[in-house]
Amino acid sequence: MTIVDLTSMGEPQTEQQREINARLVSLQNEISSYCYQCAKCTSGCEAHKLLELEPHKIVALLKRGLINELVNSDIIWTCMTCMKCRERCPQRVAPIEILFALKNMAVASGKQIPGKYTAMLQSILSLGLIQDIQQITTRMNTTVKRDELGLPPLSKPTDAQKFQAAVMKIATEKV
Amino acid sequence: MRRVGVFVCHCGINIAQTVDVKALADYAGTLPNVVIAKEYKYMCSDVGATLIKDSIKKHKLDAVVIASCSPRMHEHTFRRVAKDGGVNPYRVEIANIREQCSWAHTTKEAATEKAKALVRSAVGKARLLEPLEPSMIPVVPKALVIGGGIAGIQAALDLANDGFDITLVERQPSIGGHMAQLDKTFPTLDCSSCILTPKMMEVANHEKIELLTYAELQNVEGSIGNYTVTIKKKPRYVTLDKCTGCGDCAAACRLKDRVVSEFNEGLGKRSAAYMPFPQAVPLKYCIDDSTCLFLTKGKCGDEPACQKACAQGAIDFTQKEELVERKVGAIIVTTGYQLLDPGRLYEYGYTTSPDVITSLELERLISSSGPTKGEILRPSNQQKPKSVTFILCAGSRDETQCTWCCRIGCMSALKQVYLLKEKLGEDVEINLCYQDIRAYGKGYEEFYRKVRGLPTNLFRGRPSEVRDMKEYLKIDIFDTTTSKLFEIKTDLVVLIPALMPQADATAFARLLRLTLSGDGFFLEAHPKLRPVDTFVNGIFIAGCCQGPKDIQDTVSQASAAASRAATILTKKELEIDPLIAMVDEEACTGCGICVEVCPYEARTLNERTRIAEVNEALCAGCGACIAACPSNASIHKNFTKKQLLNMVDDMM
Repeated sequence: MTIVDLTSMGEPQTEQQREINARLVSLQNEISSYCYQCAKCTSGCEAHKLLELEPHKIVALLKRGLINELVNSDIIWTCMTCMKCRERCPQRVAPIEILFALKNMAVASGKQIPGKYTAMLQSILSLGLIQDIQQITTRMNTTVKRDELGLPPLSKPTDAQKFQAAVMKIATEKV
Repeated sequence: MRRVGVFVCHCGINIAQTVDVKALADYAGTLPNVVIAKEYKYMCSDVGATLIKDSIKKHKLDAVVIASCSPRMHEHTFRRVAKDGGVNPYRVEIANIREQCSWAHTTKEAATEKAKALVRSAVGKARLLEPLEPSMIPVVPKALVIGGGIAGIQAALDLANDGFDITLVERQPSIGGHMAQLDKTFPTLDCSSCILTPKMMEVANHEKIELLTYAELQNVEGSIGNYTVTIKKKPRYVTLDKCTGCGDCAAACRLKDRVVSEFNEGLGKRSAAYMPFPQAVPLKYCIDDSTCLFLTKGKCGDEPACQKACAQGAIDFTQKEELVERKVGAIIVTTGYQLLDPGRLYEYGYTTSPDVITSLELERLISSSGPTKGEILRPSNQQKPKSVTFILCAGSRDETQCTWCCRIGCMSALKQVYLLKEKLGEDVEINLCYQDIRAYGKGYEEFYRKVRGLPTNLFRGRPSEVRDMKEYLKIDIFDTTTSKLFEIKTDLVVLIPALMPQADATAFARLLRLTLSGDGFFLEAHPKLRPVDTFVNGIFIAGCCQGPKDIQDTVSQASAAASRAATILTKKELEIDPLIAMVDEEACTGCGICVEVCPYEARTLNERTRIAEVNEALCAGCGACIAACPSNASIHKNFTKKQLLNMVDDMM
């Protein structure tokens, strides 16, 4: 006996649901079942206005076990990881951690990663940062550098090879 | 030679379907000292009781073993039956073959064997049970009520009208509590002070009620029927007999309109000499020693302005803190609640934006006796708001703040929406952000429907933050009913904060030896069957100190607590259960360990004889002292080592 989503004919994937919930528990968050859909996460979501990410819906689909739908969706890649949903969730569910888990599942299943992400990964491997330090255009339309704003220089990995090896190790273990 | 009777109960099929009751009774009949063993469908019924009583007479029994449900259930019943039949009620032993056997097992043979072992063990103890007599203690027919909110007022009036002398203690200068701050009450829209003030007056004028305001409980000693309480009366610096409540002192005070008014939730100002609100009971002024110039700086012009202004000569700066002692038989605790400090929800901007207020602050704005005389004005610019937004569950049902539901937030918000529409006109924009509307009480759903019919915007969702844009406040809310994100621009944001235990609830509980539940409110003895009792005999709880609730439930609970207290106060003497600790004076070395471990403060060390003593009224028979005593001098009556070891020997 099971339930079926008549729109997609999808059935719940309880195994993956357990996996994600176990991840939440290990991070000392609550499992998705406790979400009562107040949508406080979506009310404050930075990725919602432009990219239509609805964290509370992600949690609702996870609660139902409809995970394939999420893993195959591009929407999970729109999260800006601002952590507000995790900070403010009244039930300590942390939608951002669910999104991390879904993204890992997508990678593990061999799904194509959006191009931007591959570029970011390349940049981390070579520079230690998701993008090289850039100049800033101010409101007065002038271009300034970090040090001109009195900001300290950013640190970079000293041994590039060691660093790359460590990152790759984490990446393979996590996914 | 002890003559024991064994009575096996079927409990319908609860026991009989897993335990062979016939075989069990037959087996019990073969045990040493057992002269009769019977089984019956319901031992606790009248027929069952008659069967036991008849058997006692016929077989001249002097001890009874009942194989039935848990002693928590019917021990009391069977003790009474034994007593009626002529056996000392403390020579009854229960073998629990339901909770500890039939309900826990599925195979009949094994369960029957276990039941036999349990009965064998019970018979083993019954052979050694001593007859005990309950001791009697006299009762002081007076009660103390702590907290003068609506719960305390109701409890005090109920008991006083029953003819008992009541001492009502309130730490504020006036009774009335939170209810006095409200404008109207849901769902009937009764004017709060119109229904409260008559009760407050009744308290003030009742010949059986001694009202001690501006006073706090300092110490409690004794036990059920005989408590001695010490109450600290804070100096009011106003002689109550002389003060007429004219207000000349407040008008003359050099700090007039400069001290924040607690009663108005910080929205209004008062003098250092003040009366919290115009209908205060007692209708007397009070000087606030934390702000008064004369009391803090020692100087107020040439002569304190209030003293000069008072024609009655009621101001008395020589008043000192005073301790009074009262003897009471029962105590009712009605100490109420506090609101969650919304500053803890930093994202809602309560501390940074003056136009973000709490429901209680709005209540003071709506009230005609409030700081704006009933006009709804934005605190930032004193203009009428064109748009008001309510945020429900501010800190409630929140794992990071208060995990519980405040039970009054939904209805109080709906009521305030209704009142705002009345006060500001139909065209004021009202937005209400909720998660669930819990309108569970009588007439509540009807009221919710009434508000739904008004032009209001209901959003099902929780805003993530409130942004102060100076001219207005901005809220993004994702509405789950339309699956759309809305931006609200609004003039006034009303937070409905969670209800919390009083800040000093833990310390207060320690003073009275009360237990707290996980949320920090006082714990009742049983959530369903003893809702106003506590684990301390003779102390009862009512109102929001037990958990959030509305006025209806608070008043019902207060009356319930009064009636439970009356069951003690109406008795001249109380029977004390003799199943408590005693001391073998020969063996006691006076080490005092029992005094330290006793959680009920029932143990004392006699200074002269150096022997530990037990206060029979306080001892709850928990057994802590028995386990702790290094010299075996602590003995639990009818749970002696010999009796218990005999049970084990017989069972093995």
